[in-house]
Amino acid sequence: MKTTFAFAAVAAFVAVSAPAHADNMVFSSWGGTTQDAQKAAWASPFTEKTGITVVQDGPTDYGKLKAMVEAGEVTWDVVDVEGDYAAQAGKNGQLEKLDFSVIDKSKLDPRFVTDYSVGSFYYSFVIGCNADAVKACPKTWADLFDTAKFPGKRTFYKWSAPGVIEAALLADGVPADKLYPLDLDRAFKKLDTIKSDIIWWSGGAQSQQLLASAEAPFGSVWNGRMTALAATGIKVETSWEQNITAADALVVPKGSPNVEAAMKFIALATSAEPQAALAKTTGYAPINVDSAKLMDPETAKTLPDQQTASQVNADMGYWADNRDAIGEKWYAWQAK
Amino acid sequence: MSTFSDASGVVAPLPKIRRPTGFSGVVPALAFVGIFFVVPVAILLLRSVLEPVPGLGNYAQLIGSSTYLKIFANTFIVSGLVTVISLAIGFPVAWALAIMPGRLTSVIFAILLLSMWTNLLARTYAWMVLLQRTGLINKMLMGMGLIDQPLALVNNLTGVTIGMTYIMLPFIILPLYGVIKKIDPSTLQAAALCGANRWQCLTRVLLPLAMPGMAAGALMVFVMSLGYFVTPSLLGGTANMMLAELIAQFVQSLVNWGMGGAAALVLLVVTLSLYAVQLRFFGNQNPGGR
Repeated sequence: MKTTFAFAAVAAFVAVSAPAHADNMVFSSWGGTTQDAQKAAWASPFTEKTGITVVQDGPTDYGKLKAMVEAGEVTWDVVDVEGDYAAQAGKNGQLEKLDFSVIDKSKLDPRFVTDYSVGSFYYSFVIGCNADAVKACPKTWADLFDTAKFPGKRTFYKWSAPGVIEAALLADGVPADKLYPLDLDRAFKKLDTIKSDIIWWSGGAQSQQLLASAEAPFGSVWNGRMTALAATGIKVETSWEQNITAADALVVPKGSPNVEAAMKFIALATSAEPQAALAKTTGYAPINVDSAKLMDPETAKTLPDQQTASQVNADMGYWADNRDAIGEKWYAWQAK
Repeated sequence: MSTFSDASGVVAPLPKIRRPTGFSGVVPALAFVGIFFVVPVAILLLRSVLEPVPGLGNYAQLIGSSTYLKIFANTFIVSGLVTVISLAIGFPVAWALAIMPGRLTSVIFAILLLSMWTNLLARTYAWMVLLQRTGLINKMLMGMGLIDQPLALVNNLTGVTIGMTYIMLPFIILPLYGVIKKIDPSTLQAAALCGANRWQCLTRVLLPLAMPGMAAGALMVFVMSLGYFVTPSLLGGTANMMLAELIAQFVQSLVNWGMGGAAALVLLVVTLSLYAVQLRFFGNQNPGGR
């Protein structure tokens, strides 16, 4: 937290004192261990190679991004955002088109490339379980929704984003290839059956805390959080059955003062080695197809890109088009 | 008005005295309030009637939806509850502080202030850990054999109320202490001498005298509670979502500033009306005075 503030202060200072200075640029992400890893895997080699200092800022805030673009006072050059937001913001004219003569997209997983964004890393919603705390761990989404077979509290992501609705539909027997367009009524009906047993997590750390303390011994969480939890020595089980993938994306806000540097930064960040380096520390998968062979097989095994057997891709295009409508229904259902 | 004549008809200039009163004296203050308060609020108001389409659609949606009305109601219920409980706990504490020996008072003040200065998020997380089903309080109660099933103390209204009351207590104890400290103890002695019992001393002497402090403290707690974000978000369930969380969702996640602005404006209007009511009833009483 402290470092975030320090970075924010530095960023503010830089923004005031040296606008559009060619020797530095600002990268904004979500803070915490993920941003630390991005700094080490991407920013440091980038600075070494180009001499351009990367000032870290964050956390990413869509409201702030919108305000910057509208006011024409953009202080973020590259921003790590969620995939569905990237698709929507691109359509709304809030992002710079990416320069694919600088960024080599031939090696990037095409699921995560649009005119305005490329993947940052990709993660899966998996079924996590504290095996010390329960007799048996749920293996499928249907298990997670089965309170008779698996009594107790379960935890889900609190916000309206790809993940929970898909899980509910899969649990209700919707085939993975028939998920979209999402049948929201059916999903909420399914969610109703476990509503009183849900404890919501609003941030990754909270999901870990809930699982570790067995407050909610199982639930749907980001796979990287399970990697981190396993490292603490708690006996955890992760079920990759129908893991639901979504990717973060790197975007350049419209009117960024350092577009050129931003493109170079994205080019480096999405190249094979930095992507592999990030995956090693975070447990999130690289979006560069050449990264896998740069990692030791043990690490590679724990990443979502190796769990494709029953993998379900969240449709970011669908979410981008329906973000607001889904959000409204989501909060209405939650508050009910 | 720059000159006046005396009886002899000699015109003497008025001595020029710079006064901080009058319009020019408040210009800097007005400018400050204008730039940092009125302009942003005006922009918010504009957005709420212009985005995504011009008109009162956002307000109609806010008032027409049972979800949003429920969130408004939740916000007031939680704030009211927190205010009442804070008063109930805060009054005896403030009273005790006012009559305690000086050394003990400073220790309790130190505890109060230290808790106020500790990071809000850290305090909220601490409550989360204490209150959860596998937390200290439930384990203790179960260990003592008082309950056999863990109590649901968090992720619901109970959790929010406990967490927020704890955070609000200093804001009610400090103004109350100021008022109670200034009450002359001899008024209570006089009441007792005149035959009042303890209950009468409390309800007919002490409480009325402490009223301005109670009103000021209660209003402050209520208004602060209305806009509270972190604690309800972490300690509450989704069934008792409060307005600030909804506004944050509109602004940060859904990037729907029209609705966010409308919700924020409704909250602001309610807050200002409450303030007006307080001024109307207690405005002429100087808290801390007699």
